[in-house]
Amino acid sequence: MFPGDLTTILPELVLASYGLAALIWAVFSKTPRTGTALIWLTSFFLVGLSLWIGLATTGTKEAFGGAFVDDGFSRFAKVVIVLSSAVVLLLSQDYLERERILKFEFPVLVVFAVLGMMIMVSAHGLMVLYMGIELQSLSLYVLAAFHRNYSKSTEAGLKYFVLGALSSGLLLYGASLTYGFSGTTLMSGISEAIANDDTSVGLLFGLAFLIVGLAFKVSAAPFHMWAPDVYEGAPTPVTLFLATAPKVAAMVLFARLLREAFGPIASDWQVIIGGIAFVSMFLGSIAAIGQVDIKRLMAYSSIAHMGYALMGIAAGTEQGFQAMLLYMVIYTVMNVGTFAFILSMRKGGRPVSDIYSLGLYSRQSPVKAFSLLLLLFSLAGIVPLVGFFAKLYVFLAVIDVGMYWLALGGAIASVIGAYYYLRLVYFMYFGEAGEDLDDTMPRISMITLVISGALVIVGVANLFGIIDITQAATGMLFN
Amino acid sequence: MVVFSRNPVHAVLWLILAFLSAAGLFVIQGAEFIAMLLIIVYVGAVAVLFLFVVMMLDVDFATLKAGMARYIPLGLLIGVVFLLILGLEFTEWSSSAIAPEQRQAIQPSEVQNTVALGNVIYTEYVFLFQIAGLILLVAMIGAIVLTHRKREGVKKQDIVAQIYRDSDSAVTLEDVPSGKGLS
Amino acid sequence: MIGLEHYLIVAAVLFVTGVFGIFLNRKNVIIILISIELILLAVNINLVSFSVYLQDLVGQVFAMFVLTVAAAEAAIGLAILVCFFRNRKSISVDDVSILRG
Repeated sequence: MFPGDLTTILPELVLASYGLAALIWAVFSKTPRTGTALIWLTSFFLVGLSLWIGLATTGTKEAFGGAFVDDGFSRFAKVVIVLSSAVVLLLSQDYLERERILKFEFPVLVVFAVLGMMIMVSAHGLMVLYMGIELQSLSLYVLAAFHRNYSKSTEAGLKYFVLGALSSGLLLYGASLTYGFSGTTLMSGISEAIANDDTSVGLLFGLAFLIVGLAFKVSAAPFHMWAPDVYEGAPTPVTLFLATAPKVAAMVLFARLLREAFGPIASDWQVIIGGIAFVSMFLGSIAAIGQVDIKRLMAYSSIAHMGYALMGIAAGTEQGFQAMLLYMVIYTVMNVGTFAFILSMRKGGRPVSDIYSLGLYSRQSPVKAFSLLLLLFSLAGIVPLVGFFAKLYVFLAVIDVGMYWLALGGAIASVIGAYYYLRLVYFMYFGEAGEDLDDTMPRISMITLVISGALVIVGVANLFGIIDITQAATGMLFN
Repeated sequence: MVVFSRNPVHAVLWLILAFLSAAGLFVIQGAEFIAMLLIIVYVGAVAVLFLFVVMMLDVDFATLKAGMARYIPLGLLIGVVFLLILGLEFTEWSSSAIAPEQRQAIQPSEVQNTVALGNVIYTEYVFLFQIAGLILLVAMIGAIVLTHRKREGVKKQDIVAQIYRDSDSAVTLEDVPSGKGLS
Repeated sequence: MIGLEHYLIVAAVLFVTGVFGIFLNRKNVIIILISIELILLAVNINLVSFSVYLQDLVGQVFAMFVLTVAAAEAAIGLAILVCFFRNRKSISVDDVSILRG
């Protein structure tokens, strides 16, 4: 049994060994450029790892008595997580150097956070799930406070920590009740126990606490209050990281937990998740209108986007989960592109994040402004771009199961949400010209911005490639 | 008491009392290992860490309490409701009928609690054990990154430099002209 | 006779106290950290009680890992707190509101 387990977790093992080796090497190396070198090395390593995960393995394998599972669903999520983290690392290098916080611990902590996320998406038992979440979030707490001489950043870290620890506590309380009901921490066992006899009040409490804990992690609406503060205060590369990979991991984990452990009482959680999605969409869209800080604005935007993705889970069907995966991929691409721009917003050498500083940016550099325009339109879900198709599939999935109110609410919320994206575009093209932004975008951010801008148009044509893959991935979960 | 005390040092002491009581409960239930762990790890390490930080950070706590009264009614209301619900629920706990069949690590009757736990941790749960190790490593890295400062002007012994020092670099021969000395 | 329910109620009381403490002392971060420890203690009591009730070791193993993680979490939390204190000479979360919230 044991060698089989080890081959199943081989990607995780390799990543963990890489992290440890990198840490030791960096500690003992004397050169001052260790941080930069390690960032490049790590991102190439992560790209290689994602290719390996994506191409090498097939089928479904379980390890450690069913507590860890490696199937198409988790592999798909792992590829997205690892690839996006690699891009984030490359993008962050320039910013960190300018802010003089490029320490070698940064890539090492990112590696451990990625490892935590890989464990999360593969978790098939409550214990592994909890340990994965903690490994990921402990690394993220430190990263959020990474700019330690800057009080906003430490405050962001502190807030993130307090609410994250609270949410872990709630999650654990739910996990303990679930364990008490079903006598096991394995998801398969929990669903058997539920299928076997009627649900008890205790189990429903467990489910409710688990949902609340996870909703905190994805920053869905009633539990979103940490997101804007943390996004604004954390160093921008960390904000980008927080907005992409951990969201994907938590969402996939959410889907798997609800489907595999609580599948037999789907009708109970569908309404809760639907409600959370509904509130998130509206709150994210409406609260963003008054924001003048682009990082806060992106935080509210991500709350709204989490609402749409949760809609897919609320549908509870194969189609819904597939739409959720697709949504998360598109969301990640759009966010990476937009943040590639935000990362390089500076005036006189200092980073700025005020939206008025975008005034007439289109005159200054039309190509970048146009790419950003495409990305913002896509985030708003305007018709010919991929962001629209992402929303469309989610809406179709919920309509298919008859949750019309949710689809209607989503449509209204996305119209409201379009307003603030359009406001940004307005500032870029017709705003008042102020002091120009520094023209110091590093080449790598430029490339990422233009590529992701291109992807949201070209994606419309080859979107169908991803659809097949997501279909195959979710198919494995449902059989 | 823990949450009401005015002085955080007292709060930490109340916390320790809570931990000790919980450890007592565990002993009554027959989970000695967890009980010992709770005392050693929590009372011994975590609580001391808390006390250390509380005393190190010289904070004026009286001002922090100023706004507290505002939240009391609301908080009490939420607390009472919450407690009622939880209480209602636990007056009769019902596990699933197949729960006993689903157990993954049945408590053996012939060995002690600690032995039984040891047998399980390093075999079935070795994966979790390793992750726990990584989590502690991350905590260590984090604490160092956030609080370690390089101090300037500290004189340290550099052993390698001492060993590699030879007569060429340490001693210079000077030809001292008589009557002038070295400048 | 003390049964499973009594232990669960103790845990529930501790849990509510912890949550309550967080809402009550929104300004004092150290008390918030202590409240989080209380919540985790409640979880541990729950897990061990179920474990004993079901005659199953998994709950105790889980409780052990929760303990480990809680220790790591306390270390990180206090490190961030120390860092925050150095920048600001205060540990109140509310007065800071450069970041509203």
